Amino acid sequence: MFKSQKFFRFQKKSARVIKIMKKDYKAYLGGSVIMLILISAIFAPLIAPADPYKTNVTKRLEGPSLQNLLGTDSLGRDILSRLIYAARPAVLVSFGGIIISVIIGIILGLLAAYVGGILESIILFIFDVIRAFPPIILILVLLSIIGPSLLSVIVILGVTIMPRYGRVVRAETLSEKEEDFVEAARSLGADNSRIIFKHILPNIFASVLVLSGMDMASMIMWEAGLSFLGLGLQPPLSSWGVMLQESYQYIQTAPLMILWPALAIMLTMLGFSTFAESLRVALNPKLNQEV
Amino acid sequence: MFIYITKRFLWVIPTILTVLLLLFSLSYLLPGDPADIILGPRATPEMAEELESRLGLDKPWYQSYLIYLQNIIKGDLGTSIFRDRSVLKVILDVLPYTVILTLAGMGLAVFNGISIGLLAANYNNSYFEKFLTMLSFITASTPTYIAGVLLIVVFSVNFNLLPSIGIGDGGLLDSIHHLIGPALALSVGWTGYIARLTRSSMLETLDQEFIQTEKSFGIPRYYILYKYALKKAIKPIIAVIGLGIGRLLGGAVFVEVIFNRPGLGRLIVDSVNERDLPLVRGGVLVAALLFVIANLVADISYAYFDPRIKQK
Repeated sequence: MFKSQKFFRFQKKSARVIKIMKKDYKAYLGGSVIMLILISAIFAPLIAPADPYKTNVTKRLEGPSLQNLLGTDSLGRDILSRLIYAARPAVLVSFGGIIISVIIGIILGLLAAYVGGILESIILFIFDVIRAFPPIILILVLLSIIGPSLLSVIVILGVTIMPRYGRVVRAETLSEKEEDFVEAARSLGADNSRIIFKHILPNIFASVLVLSGMDMASMIMWEAGLSFLGLGLQPPLSSWGVMLQESYQYIQTAPLMILWPALAIMLTMLGFSTFAESLRVALNPKLNQEV
Repeated sequence: MFIYITKRFLWVIPTILTVLLLLFSLSYLLPGDPADIILGPRATPEMAEELESRLGLDKPWYQSYLIYLQNIIKGDLGTSIFRDRSVLKVILDVLPYTVILTLAGMGLAVFNGISIGLLAANYNNSYFEKFLTMLSFITASTPTYIAGVLLIVVFSVNFNLLPSIGIGDGGLLDSIHHLIGPALALSVGWTGYIARLTRSSMLETLDQEFIQTEKSFGIPRYYILYKYALKKAIKPIIAVIGLGIGRLLGGAVFVEVIFNRPGLGRLIVDSVNERDLPLVRGGVLVAALLFVIANLVADISYAYFDPRIKQK
């Protein structure tokens, strides 16, 4: 009986969120872009018209044609197929990185807020040291230590962004802890883990969700930027950043080629950030204004 | 306020010390033996030994850390391996370019952002406002390097209006001509952010009572908008400028590489690629110092312009 009541309340809340988002054109725009990327990533072999790694030196740097809808690159590979396959590293980096950030951030933030004392100072200090570097430079140096690969890019991006979550989780936990309903639960004999999982985590869920939508956009941006500098994912893997870097060398002779990966990155970032924005407005009716 | 500023200052010192420790430990963390990388395969053991003592690799780590700290206090960041010059000199040579680029980018972002935001607030709830909001969303989600690449494709390759590389021949006009593209590329992301901030801050201010009172007194609309409302609405925008300068410092890395300009960002990328350890350490240290100072200014200006922060 209690459980069904709870489920009902959750359903009511998400129904309200969906209702608000249904009226927001940004939710449709962002949602459809994210769907498009997910579909390309999962079904890449079915959608892509050609093999993204098959080179054909006789057909280098060709413009768009019926056979190669977006043309071919410097090695005669089909650009459209490479674009579609490149959704895979983008999805892996953004989802993988955000999962690492959120999990470490929540654990450290909760620890800081609950244990307090020296541990809290140490955790906040770690956050401050990470935040003392411009993110891109920290990522660069860490990558040069570990060496560039898909996994190291994911882990490093996750760790670099993590302090944001740690700080938000800590701040919100501290304020939630003072709320009357938490006090009430405590006086009824609920232990810390119950309070965290039943009362605090559900209440900070909204901010973490909105924040992670925005950060997934930045992770895709950084991954592509690093690969563009030649320090992230390495060719021949198809990633938008790698394609950007490869076509940058031909910017004077074949300027059209660089537009496709650039548009893909911009569209992805736009999709994630508009969806996160719409989510933010829907989840926080108090802040019904854009910033 | 004073106590808050002092506290923030004191908190920076251990952070910087830890940053230094991390940078110092790079010589142990970077893959490969530094002596091997620098001297190449034909080095004799004596040469390697001499170099190791020059880099301080033959002593226990805590001793070399202390020496490293002492040198830094003296302003000695070591000698670049491949450039054979003092790291500090190499950095000071390129730093002005990065500072100018960042400030120019921020100036453009503030000017364009406030203009777009004011227009959007003025024409609130019209199709024009929807268009401007979308525009600021698109610019806010354009990475610096993509803005740079697109600017080169359009203005350098297609129309041949702007130079795509370099910093010019040293003349003022030529330098500005070479600065337009990079500064514009750097400003794009922050323009959208400032535009959205301006719009929401203006709308909030226009909603307040004193504006309604002024309206009822028959004060002209543009006068209310630009004289009274903007004065109040601009505070949160000033508060984020410090934050923005820190962000743009990171963006400058890409702009300097794409437009082939000298600068701190490109220096760090090059030195990481060359494994020039002293230069990596020095460059990252200067970048981190600038970033920490920018963040400090941001926090203090936040507290100054938005007194709610102080109470927290």
